[in-house]
Amino acid sequence: MALKFLIVDDSQTMRRIVANSLKNLGYEDFVEAGDGKEALLKLSADDTLNFVITDWNMPVLSGLELIKAIRSDDKMGKIPVLMVTTRGVKDDIIEALKAKVNNYVVKPFTPAILREKIDAILASNGGSN
Amino acid sequence: MMSSENMSQLFAKLNDLKKVFTYGEKLIPVIQSLGEFMKETVPLLENINKSIAESTSKIPKASNQIQNVTSATEMATTEILDLVDVLNADLESIEKCVVDCLEKEKDKEDFLNSLIPKLNVSDAKIFVDDFLAKNRSTLNLNSVKDRIKKMKDDTNSITLSLQVQDITSQQLATVNHLIESVQDRLASLIDDFDNTKLNENENNLNLPEGASFDPNARYSKSVVPQQEVDSIFNKEMQTASQAEIDKLFN
Repeated sequence: MALKFLIVDDSQTMRRIVANSLKNLGYEDFVEAGDGKEALLKLSADDTLNFVITDWNMPVLSGLELIKAIRSDDKMGKIPVLMVTTRGVKDDIIEALKAKVNNYVVKPFTPAILREKIDAILASNGGSN
Repeated sequence: MMSSENMSQLFAKLNDLKKVFTYGEKLIPVIQSLGEFMKETVPLLENINKSIAESTSKIPKASNQIQNVTSATEMATTEILDLVDVLNADLESIEKCVVDCLEKEKDKEDFLNSLIPKLNVSDAKIFVDDFLAKNRSTLNLNSVKDRIKKMKDDTNSITLSLQVQDITSQQLATVNHLIESVQDRLASLIDDFDNTKLNENENNLNLPEGASFDPNARYSKSVVPQQEVDSIFNKEMQTASQAEIDKLFN
């Protein structure tokens, strides 16, 4: 199944950087959202979205709240979520894990790290979601 | 007629009164200097109050300027990203041309080599090899191709370095929040001066709930932070998995 990413970040710059990195990794299909609430709306409206890359600190609905909302939803509960954030403190990582994030990347990231984490998530999900 | 006992009591009282006067004489200069000190201090306090009021009134401007800096850097970053996209598209098209030229070079060489057996000239191979050696552009084209690849890598590095904009904007948001907290404190101080009462209400400089920025955001190209994150993530994930297994068995 082809991957269709949802890139969630309140920074337009970061959304473009993540999108460019995905393009370089060979992934062309993605949509963007500026906060967690917008992301949930897009996920509800588009069944083909099957991978979420989200920031943590965002207005309206944070990345952590977004993960919790996704996991508590029957329909989209199993969508893989990769957190890409500046927050690298141990307590934050544990909190994200408790919310059932699939993997965690600290900014600034490189495409190699992004690829590594996406591949790890896909491998642990058996190559599909 | 007063008794001698009464007289001695009277003298004792007079003696006490004298001591009071003597103490008073000593106290008067102190009270006077205290008065002088107050005279000098009150204008100073008024000046401090005025300075605080002036500083407080400047804080919203400073806060706005920080927001303007964030907007300006975001705009500039977007422009750079636009240019990088254009550059990448151009490099992509140049790369296609070079690949096309390389294929044509190969075709040309194959064609000339295929002519050798058909030509009834003894030195045909020497002529063709000589011609190809003098007119071969494969090396140059491959070098151009390598440079294009390097340039594409460089543009990608520029794009990735622009993550600094997001990180600094979070740092600026933190500074902005701190400035606003200082403004609240100064405003509270002005109130204290005006109401001539001491308000012990402590305004804290903690971050608001649900702040959309990370106060500890930092820009570091080192891979160490990601390695630390991976280490914590993997360790905690193993713990979680074990806990889940334990749960199943209990």
